[in-house]
Amino acid sequence: MVLSGWEAVFFWVFSIAAILAGLLTVMARNAVHSALFLISSLVSVAALFILLQAEFIAGVQILVYVGGVMVLFLFVIMLVNVGAEERGSEELFHRPRQVIASLIFCFLLAAGLLFAMNTGYRGLQKRDQAALAAAQQQRQQREQALPAGATGTARITNATEQVGNSLYRFASLPFEIASVLLLVAIIGSVMLARTLRQEASADDVAPEVLQEEKVADPELAKLAATEQN
Amino acid sequence: MLTFTVPLLALVLQEADSGRLALMEATARNPDLSKFLVIGAILFTIGVAGVLTRRNIIVIFMSIELILNAANLNFIAFSRYLQETGNLNAVAGQVFSVFVIVVAAAEAAIGLGIVIALYRNKETIWVDEIDILKW
Repeated sequence: MVLSGWEAVFFWVFSIAAILAGLLTVMARNAVHSALFLISSLVSVAALFILLQAEFIAGVQILVYVGGVMVLFLFVIMLVNVGAEERGSEELFHRPRQVIASLIFCFLLAAGLLFAMNTGYRGLQKRDQAALAAAQQQRQQREQALPAGATGTARITNATEQVGNSLYRFASLPFEIASVLLLVAIIGSVMLARTLRQEASADDVAPEVLQEEKVADPELAKLAATEQN
Repeated sequence: MLTFTVPLLALVLQEADSGRLALMEATARNPDLSKFLVIGAILFTIGVAGVLTRRNIIVIFMSIELILNAANLNFIAFSRYLQETGNLNAVAGQVFSVFVIVVAAAEAAIGLGIVIALYRNKETIWVDEIDILKW
């Protein structure tokens, strides 16, 4: 798989954008700026997915990550907004020695990954050379058979159809497990984010805790009492 | 300056043994699987650096999203590579990355619920101040 021409140009544009936005996510002073930079990084990676002919995953990435998860992040940032980082009264990073140690670790990690890829990829290429050449021919024939798009410059692929087929045929059990996981996550986050008053009105507080907190908040006792009637 | 940047560029462009600028330019013009893997590795490392160095717990969660996204990029790149080699069930990487996205969404929901509960009880989002399990 070799990109060429404009595909290569777009590859470099989007990969450099993804890396720069990722760096700024980590370094931004304001948490809202961090979230916005993370959104641009995710969108750039979605563009890379389109270059890799994974249109469905690119769409899911934008809908789920940018549309769902990042909105959740922004809401939480606004709920717990302290603003101390922006005013400069709180440090952004840990103490300098900790930062130096972790940067050395990250440098070693990156160097190890790149070195391992260098040798590994060469071996992979050597192994798959014949298969790649043979498959190239077949793929061109298959692409010629696909229907042309309305503008005539591109062809309509069935990649999303293949993903759906594969998802329901080979991964139907993980699919069901994922739905249970999401249900647990929904219920869990609702349970975690309740206030003490909400917990008391649902009669879900330990008696000792209720006894202690009654002193500070007399409303709590009433909530618990109404529940018992 | 050049003596230092050329080996670094060779490492990033995965042309370490050739080490000549002309060859590097030729590979940069036609990015293949290894370039996508390099981008994924760099994004992963940035995410790890964010998790290790930042104090704001929300930014740490965002760095974790960056790490998961880098893993997704690798899955998709290898899925495309398998399609090119004519492998059966070549879209397995794309199917797997759907599950990675599902787990990332669940993790973000639970993690942010914990952050809200923590902020309500401890009035802090700095991870070095949340140390009640330390002795």
